[in-house]
Amino acid sequence: MIHYMQDIWDVFTAEVRRVFSNKMAMLVFFVATVIYPLVFCAIYNTEYMHNLPVALVDESRCEASKRFGHKLDAVPEVEVAYRCNTMAEAEKLMRDHKVHAIFYIPRDYGTRLAQLQTARIGVFCDMSSFYYYKNAVTGGSNLLIDEMHTIELERYGLSGITGEQATSLVQPIVYDDVKLYNPAGGFGSFFIPALLMLVIHQTLFFGIGIMAGEANENRRSLHLIPAHLRGRSIHRVTAGRALCFILLYIPITLFVLWLVPHWFHLPQLGRLSDLMLFLLPFILATTFLGMSFGNFFVREKMSGVLCCLFFSVMLFFMSGVVWPQCAMPRFWLALSYLFPSTPGIQGFIRISSMGADLVAVRSQYIALWIQAGAYFVTSCLSLRFIKKYRKP
Amino acid sequence: MSTSNIVRTFRRETSRIAHSPRYPIILTLGIVFTFVFFATLTNEGQPENLPVAVVDLDGTFLSRRLCHELDATQGVDVVAVYNNHSEARQAMQRGEIFAFYEIPQGTYNDVLQFRAPHFGLYSNTAYLLAGTLSYKQLATMGMLAAGAVQREVLRKKGYTDEALMGLIQPVEFDQHLVGNPWANYQIYLMTTLVPAVIAFIVLLHTIYLIGREREERTVRNWMRKAGNNALVAMVGKLLPYTFHYSLLLLLANLVMFGFMHFPLAGSWLMMMLASVLLIVAAQCVGVFIGGCLPEPPFAMGVGAVYGALCFSLSGFSFPVEAMPRLFNGLSLLYPIRHYYRTYCDVAIFGNGLEHCWPHICALLAFGLLGLIGTAMFARQYNAERRVA
Repeated sequence: MIHYMQDIWDVFTAEVRRVFSNKMAMLVFFVATVIYPLVFCAIYNTEYMHNLPVALVDESRCEASKRFGHKLDAVPEVEVAYRCNTMAEAEKLMRDHKVHAIFYIPRDYGTRLAQLQTARIGVFCDMSSFYYYKNAVTGGSNLLIDEMHTIELERYGLSGITGEQATSLVQPIVYDDVKLYNPAGGFGSFFIPALLMLVIHQTLFFGIGIMAGEANENRRSLHLIPAHLRGRSIHRVTAGRALCFILLYIPITLFVLWLVPHWFHLPQLGRLSDLMLFLLPFILATTFLGMSFGNFFVREKMSGVLCCLFFSVMLFFMSGVVWPQCAMPRFWLALSYLFPSTPGIQGFIRISSMGADLVAVRSQYIALWIQAGAYFVTSCLSLRFIKKYRKP
Repeated sequence: MSTSNIVRTFRRETSRIAHSPRYPIILTLGIVFTFVFFATLTNEGQPENLPVAVVDLDGTFLSRRLCHELDATQGVDVVAVYNNHSEARQAMQRGEIFAFYEIPQGTYNDVLQFRAPHFGLYSNTAYLLAGTLSYKQLATMGMLAAGAVQREVLRKKGYTDEALMGLIQPVEFDQHLVGNPWANYQIYLMTTLVPAVIAFIVLLHTIYLIGREREERTVRNWMRKAGNNALVAMVGKLLPYTFHYSLLLLLANLVMFGFMHFPLAGSWLMMMLASVLLIVAAQCVGVFIGGCLPEPPFAMGVGAVYGALCFSLSGFSFPVEAMPRLFNGLSLLYPIRHYYRTYCDVAIFGNGLEHCWPHICALLAFGLLGLIGTAMFARQYNAERRVA
C-alpha cells in the first residue's frame, strides 16, 4: 500500500512539473480558462434585444389601426422606427436592413372590423436571425391578444353583453404564465452555462492532448513512465497523472462555474457541494478521455488543436441544450454520450440553473462515472500502446 | 513576381501534400462530418414531439378532454398526467418535460358559472428553444380551448357560426417569413455554421502550414523555390488549399441551396464569390497570425483563441447589434461576419452587388492583413539569413 501511494505521489509530482514547464499547456489551463468565460459573459451579458426596429404601414388609417400603431410602439420587444405610406417603401427599408419586420395594416382593416368580420394584419419577418423573428412574433402576439380583447369587448357591448359577463366571455380561461429558471427568457442565461462547461471540457481535453503531443514529439513518452511501473502497475501512472489534473481543476472549476456565474448574475440555484460532487466524475472522465486520445492519436503538439478544435461546435450541439435530446436522431444521441460534455452540460444546467440536487441528475451522474471508468481503462491501454509501438 | 516561381512553389507544396496527406485528409473528413452532422441532426426543421405534461387537479371530463386535445396538438407530446404540482416540477428538473399545464380544482364549475378559472402554464426557459417552442404550442392550444368555451356559450345564446368567428377571432396575423418561410431551424443554422467551421479550419491550417515550415527548418528551401520573394512563397504555398477549400465550400453551398432546396433569392454567382472570398480572407488572417508570430505553438494558440469566437461574433444567432459596443467593432475583424451579411443580402433579400459591395469590399480588405503578415515573415527571414 505504501509503495502504491509512493508511486502515485512520484508520478503526480513529475506531472505537476511537466505541466508548469509546458508553455502552451499553461496557456490553455490558465489563460484560456480565464479569457473565454469572461468574453462569453461579456458578449451575451445584454441577454435580450430590446426595441427591434420595425416599420409600420397603415393603409387603413382608422381609429382601430391608429390604436394598434400606438400599442405597437409601447411593446418592449419592438420599436416602430419608420411609419411608411406604402408597402414598397417598407420593403426597401427591410432590404437595406434598417428594419427587421414590417407590420402591414391593409386598407380594409377598418371596414372589416365595422362589419364584425375577422380583420387581418400582415407581419413580414426578416429571417436572417431567429432572434429578429422571435422578437417580432412575441411582441406582435402579445399585442394581438390585447387588441383582440379590446375589440371583443366592444363587440359584446354592441350585442348587449356587458360587465362581468363580457369580461369572462372574452377570457373564459385565464392563463398565468410562469417561465421557470430563466424567467426573462434571456439568451445569456440559457447559452452561457453550457459554454462554461464546454470551456472546462475543452481546455482539459486539449491541455492534456498538447502535453501528450509534446512528449511524443520529443520521443520522451516512454521516459515519462518510471521503469518499474511499465508492466502491470501501469494504472498507477494513470492515477497519479489524473490526481494532478483534478487538483489543478478544483480552483479552475470554482472560478469558471461558481464565481463567474455569480459575478455575471447568471441563474445559480444549486448547492456548491452538489456541484463539486457532480464535477468529480466529469473531470475524471474528461482527463482520462484526453489521455487516451492524446496517447493514441496525437503525435505533435499542434495537431490536436488543428484537427479537433472545430469539433467543439458539434459537442455544443450534441449536448442537447439548443436542439433538445428528444428530437435528436438516435445515432447522434448515442454518439453524444461518448463525450463527458453531454452529461456534464445537462447536469450542470440542471444543478446550477434549475436548482436540482444530485438525485435529480442521477442518470447523468451515473453516465459520467461509467465514462470515467471506461476511459480509465483505455488510458491505461494507451500507455501500453506507447510502450509497445513507439520505442524511443 | 514571376509566374514560374509561383508554379514551382505550388508544385513543391502539392508534392509535400502527396508525401504526407494526413492532415488535409483528416480536415476534409472533418468538414464532411460537420456537414452530415448538422444536416441530419436538425432534419426535422423544428424539434417535434417535445415532452410536456398536465397537472390535473380538477379531474372532471372537461379537464380530461383538454388533456386529449393537448396530446393531439402538433409539436408536443403529453408524456404524463400528474396529481400535484411538485411532481411536475421534479419531472421538469430531471429534464423529462419542457412545459406543463396546471388545471386547478373546480375548473369545470367555474366555467359553468362564468368565473374564469386560472390555469398555470409553466415552461422551462433554461432550454430556450425547446422551452419556448413547447410554451408556444401550449399557449396556442390554450387559446383554442378558450375559444371553444366562448363558442359553446355564445351558441347557447343563439349566435350563428358565421357571426361567432368575428366575435371570437376579430383580428389575426398573416405571417410572411422572408427568407425562411417554414421557420426551419436547419436553414438558419447550416447556412452560416458550415461556412464558419470551414473558415475556422482554413485559418488554423494556414497557421499550421507556416509553423510547420519553421519547425522543420525548411523555410530557406521554401523561399529559394519562390525566388526569395515572400509573397510568391505564400501565394504558391497556399494556393492548393485555396482551391481545395473553396471547392469544398462551393460544394456545401451547392448541396444546401441546390439539393436541400434552401431558399436563395439572389444570384448563385454572388454566393460563389462570397464563398471564395471567405476562404481567401481566412487564409489571409492565418498568414497574418502565422507571419507575425514566429513561435508556431504560440501562433496556433492565438489563432485558436481568435477563431473560437467566430461563431458568436458572426452574429447569426444572437445579433451583434444587441451585444456591447466593443464586440460590434470586434466582429468586423471576422471574415465570417461579412460572409453572413452577404448571405443575408443575397439569399434572403435577393440583393445584388449594389447592396452588398461593402461586405465584399470588407472581405477583400483582409488581403491587407495577408500582405502585412507576409511582410513580417519576409523581414524575419532576411534578419535570420543575415545572422546566419
